[in-house]
Amino acid sequence: MGPDYGDIDTPYKCGVNQVNMNQWTGLISTAFGIVYAIMSYTLPDASIGNPMEPKIFPLMLGIGVTICGILLIINESKKKSTAQEIKKERGKGLSHDSKLIIYTCVVAFIYALLFERIGYVLSTIIFMNAMLFVLNGKQKWKTNLIVSMTFSITIYLVFLKLLAIPLPMIPFLQI
Amino acid sequence: MEVILHNLLLGFQTAFEPINLFWVTLGGILGTIIGMLPGLGPATGVAVLLPMTYAMGPTGALITMCGVYYGAMFGGSRSSILINTPGDGAAIAATFDGYPMAMNGRAEAALAISAIASFIGGMISVIFMIFLATPVARFALKFGPAEYFLLMLMAIAMTSSMSKGNVIKGFLSMFLGLAVAMVGLDPQSGVNRFTFGSLELQSGIDFLTVIIAIYALGEVFKCFKDIREGKKKMQTKFGKIWITKEDWKRTWKPILRSTPLGFIIGALPGAGGTMASLMAYNNEKQLSKNPEEFGKGEIIGLAAPEAANNASSVGALIPMLSLGIPGSGTTAVMMGALLMLGLQPGPMLFQNHPDIAWGLIASMVVGNIILAIINIPMAGALVRVLAIPPKILYPIILGLAFIGTYAISNSVIDFYIMIVFGVVGFFMEKAKIPSAPFILAIIVGNMMEISFRQALLISDGSWGIFVGSPIAAILLALTVASVVLPFIKGHKFFNRKKATIAK
Repeated sequence: MGPDYGDIDTPYKCGVNQVNMNQWTGLISTAFGIVYAIMSYTLPDASIGNPMEPKIFPLMLGIGVTICGILLIINESKKKSTAQEIKKERGKGLSHDSKLIIYTCVVAFIYALLFERIGYVLSTIIFMNAMLFVLNGKQKWKTNLIVSMTFSITIYLVFLKLLAIPLPMIPFLQI
Repeated sequence: MEVILHNLLLGFQTAFEPINLFWVTLGGILGTIIGMLPGLGPATGVAVLLPMTYAMGPTGALITMCGVYYGAMFGGSRSSILINTPGDGAAIAATFDGYPMAMNGRAEAALAISAIASFIGGMISVIFMIFLATPVARFALKFGPAEYFLLMLMAIAMTSSMSKGNVIKGFLSMFLGLAVAMVGLDPQSGVNRFTFGSLELQSGIDFLTVIIAIYALGEVFKCFKDIREGKKKMQTKFGKIWITKEDWKRTWKPILRSTPLGFIIGALPGAGGTMASLMAYNNEKQLSKNPEEFGKGEIIGLAAPEAANNASSVGALIPMLSLGIPGSGTTAVMMGALLMLGLQPGPMLFQNHPDIAWGLIASMVVGNIILAIINIPMAGALVRVLAIPPKILYPIILGLAFIGTYAISNSVIDFYIMIVFGVVGFFMEKAKIPSAPFILAIIVGNMMEISFRQALLISDGSWGIFVGSPIAAILLALTVASVVLPFIKGHKFFNRKKATIAK
């Protein structure tokens, strides 16, 4: 899982440093592929049967990713030599939607932390309001409150009564 | 033949039970609503609503999913016609002439013909499917592990190589998906792979979580970019939603022509609805006496791609149901739904669970009829959803996505996995790496590895088994061809295609 975070960094750096997106994708993929292949190779041996058995397939995948990454880099450098790539990726700093995405991830992370501690209904109302206040605006706080409360209570009841899946309850009150 | 009819009748009996009719209608309405949201298509619809069917039992769940699937497809073209924003790739062709029609004051006819064409396309294709599903499944029963491995490889390779833009990125996406599928305890040797000592990762990364992350979270992230644009003006009052006799006379032939075309393209792995509808559009444009009318509100230009789109969505279910290999992102999600219910799609599904396989086919017929009913008279009421600001709807989609993953696993750990993959999905989009091969690979990854290892076990480690039988050799040749062809001439071919469409 760890190396996957590599993908996350790519375009972000690209926006700031104005480096070609495809080259970054190629570089990160190559790095990921090599790490993945090495990790596959160093996996523990199988205790029964062919000791290499659990490694062959992942090893092939690691090599596959590496080859794709290298091909991407080569392709991109070819393009550069023939025609200068126009660098129009993005302006300086983070764009509005990147900020929104980071905000959403942080809010979702807090949601996950609160979910089992304060129960589904409360944590969802907080999550929805956090999202709605930013997307829909503070002025419409009444709409936001109504939407978030209706949503979380309806879902809670649908899951409990219709689908028979109990969701985490609010502590102390037990509802 | 008799067996098929008998099974089909049984399927209809199940599909016509009142409770199932209720589910398919509800699924259809919810699917239509999600499909109408700009940027969100059938894959997102099924992914978000999938967990809601968790407690329904296999038949009810599948029927609901069918409703959602069709609903989202119908819904996608609604927003194409009225606000010029396709719900998903396959609805792009509906904007070419659908939106101009609405601008010319013929929104009613546009809404009606798109529903009628979709209905006819879907119905005829289901009939094709009824006759094709069993023979295909029977043929696949002859496959050994080596053939199965190659078949899966071919399916993902074709999807990767047909990905728009860049073939290398398509394959990169495939390899990454397979790499993610490897995470967890290897069932055959007991070795922990890529779990980093985490107990939660031992059971692997649930593909449903990844699907919901990519198709719900990732798509909503993508939509953040447009969220500031504000509401688009659209017509909210409609007259009678129907077409004139003149319209029908001109469109019935294009509809019938586009249906088989869409069906065949849909059945090929990787091609899917977008390509089917664009090809049908181009095809009709070339056949037309006045091609210059296309793009200005020509009704044929709306009817043909709509028929092809729905036909391809049915065709796409054939490899998924009878071979167990999804050919597109949306069918991969449908397959995820089957797997969640403990059903393994593939040749054995028709033998072991004929009730479910045929129930699904029957519910496609029923779903199609109900969706046509919902979408023609009630279209005026349903499109009001488009008037609800997306600013409110997107948080709701996010809320549904989170509760959905929780319903599947009952664990908050999946929230974190989902956030990670939602971001991964967004950046894949930014780097223009297609997501369909990634999703396909995650779903078939484990099966692929098992077949691969079984094949090598049978052959005692000799790789010759992958060319050992005629079927294997053909499959391998097709796989290699799908990798190599785009590099030789595919680029030029597709570029020209795009150019003609742009005109």
